[in-house]
Amino acid sequence: MSVTGAALAAEAAARDAAPRRRAGPWRRRPTASFRWMVAPALAFACAMIVLPFGWAAWLSLQESVIGGAPRFIGLDNYRRLLADAEFWNGFRLTLLLWLLSLAVQLVAGTWLGLLLARVEVARGLVRTVLVSPFMLPPVVIGMMAIVILDPGLGVANWLLAQAGLGPLLFLADPGTVMITVALLDSWQWTPFVALIVLGGYLSLPRDVFEAAEIDGASASQRFRRITLPLLAPTLVTAAVLRSVDLLRFFDVIYITTQGGPGNASTTLNILAYRRGFEFFEFGYAAALMVTLSAIVFGTVLAFAKLRRAAAW
Amino acid sequence: MVAGRARLRRWLDGLQLALVLLVLVAPVAWMVLSAFKPRTEVAALPPRLVFSPTLENFRELFARTDFLENTLNSLVVAGGSTLLGLVLAFPAAFAMSWHRMTWPATATLFARMAPGTLFLLPWLVMFTALGLVGSHLALILTHAVITLPVAIWVLLPYFDALPREIIESAEIDGCRQHQTLLRVALPMVAPGVVVAAILCFVFSWNYFLFALVLSGFSSKTAIVASFNFIGEGVTNWGALMAAATVIALPPLILTLIIQRRLVGGLSAGAVKG
Repeated sequence: MSVTGAALAAEAAARDAAPRRRAGPWRRRPTASFRWMVAPALAFACAMIVLPFGWAAWLSLQESVIGGAPRFIGLDNYRRLLADAEFWNGFRLTLLLWLLSLAVQLVAGTWLGLLLARVEVARGLVRTVLVSPFMLPPVVIGMMAIVILDPGLGVANWLLAQAGLGPLLFLADPGTVMITVALLDSWQWTPFVALIVLGGYLSLPRDVFEAAEIDGASASQRFRRITLPLLAPTLVTAAVLRSVDLLRFFDVIYITTQGGPGNASTTLNILAYRRGFEFFEFGYAAALMVTLSAIVFGTVLAFAKLRRAAAW
Repeated sequence: MVAGRARLRRWLDGLQLALVLLVLVAPVAWMVLSAFKPRTEVAALPPRLVFSPTLENFRELFARTDFLENTLNSLVVAGGSTLLGLVLAFPAAFAMSWHRMTWPATATLFARMAPGTLFLLPWLVMFTALGLVGSHLALILTHAVITLPVAIWVLLPYFDALPREIIESAEIDGCRQHQTLLRVALPMVAPGVVVAAILCFVFSWNYFLFALVLSGFSSKTAIVASFNFIGEGVTNWGALMAAATVIALPPLILTLIIQRRLVGGLSAGAVKG
């Protein structure tokens, strides 16, 4: 920037900042504005996020297939979606995966988080093992699942056979594929929830627990009446983070089953991807994606309300 | 009596934790062991835990496929998008912290919540029109959509902790704004930049969807190449596990460095927003 440019910017900044910047003790001196520094990030976000989002929303109002000229059809794609059995199948599977995984991860994560607070040996090693699963690429999770859960040659069925169980088809059986995916995700992300719970638990006031113990509250009473309510905001935070990923779940399913067998694991995001990038029905796929986005935002907003209710 | 019960409880706690660790480590250990097993023993049941380790799976992986090139592509894309994300996020996060702006941070959460497929559709049209499909640049730009919000959210608390007087005195001493940022602020938030850079790199390295659609023959990442191995029905599990081991290594090593700050960094957006 040239000297004049800098001077002009500084002057403009001073004008901008001076009237409101006098209040606090450290705001006695006029300071330059740094607001322009947001501009590059903002421009990038507009070009790569806002514009494409608007474009996708516009696309969802059109009949647009590869080779044909796009035609504006209003809300027809959304009407078609509501009458589409595949959409409702995807909706049901998305809901199932979300509820199942969230339940497992919150319950097991709370248990594990409180266990971590009690066990004080080898903290560094324990943390290393706990953070590893959720830092692994999803494709590695998928590759491990394919080798370990292989119905015929996988070591999982061999282990089950040693216990007199199985064999299971895991990802190859429409009846077990979603449960398997939910457990894969829980293997990867329960430690994450546990570490959030641990952090929340360690920041709670100690004296509440001591007072309850002196008053003769049993361990289960202390857990139900004190620990759990105090941890509620932490748990809601964990639920938000997991929900955002679970509702738009894609990677591990696409890598292992591509939505199969049949349609048994075609969640909404898989369905949207296949319609868009395998069948090239851009308009309809965009409608699916916008609907899924609305579901994710709605859930996050509901959780935000819940967190305010759970705050203490 | 009471002491005995406390000891029993401690013992049970330790046992439970050991079981959890076993469940978490076993699949990863299985993957690494399989990668070093001779071809004939990879699928052997009962599993052989004692075997003479070999590098033949890795040799086959790198000799028979383009995996080395794919890995280099991954490095270029992850490195490039990390750099781009940081260059954009660093001044933005500073200004957001200084002026207590909240709306840009909230806006970036939007990108974190919407399904990636939603952006992919317009991007495909956009990059096709620009002739960028199959280029490294398209992947760097799209992966920066992942890295930018991460970098902003990780950096914000570090800037918030910066004493305002230091920035103000730098100005009074006649520093230009970009000098203030680079010479005064940067050294003080350097630990935050390291955490942000590592998280960005790992997120970009791991990301699957964008490269699945937008990469071409010469820009295919190791992640997508591994997915293609599965799709081709590769029956050589040894080589498959060797590939998995190679792509799992950078995230595992990098996060080892910053594991104390990891969970805070990953959940920053949700805790505040």
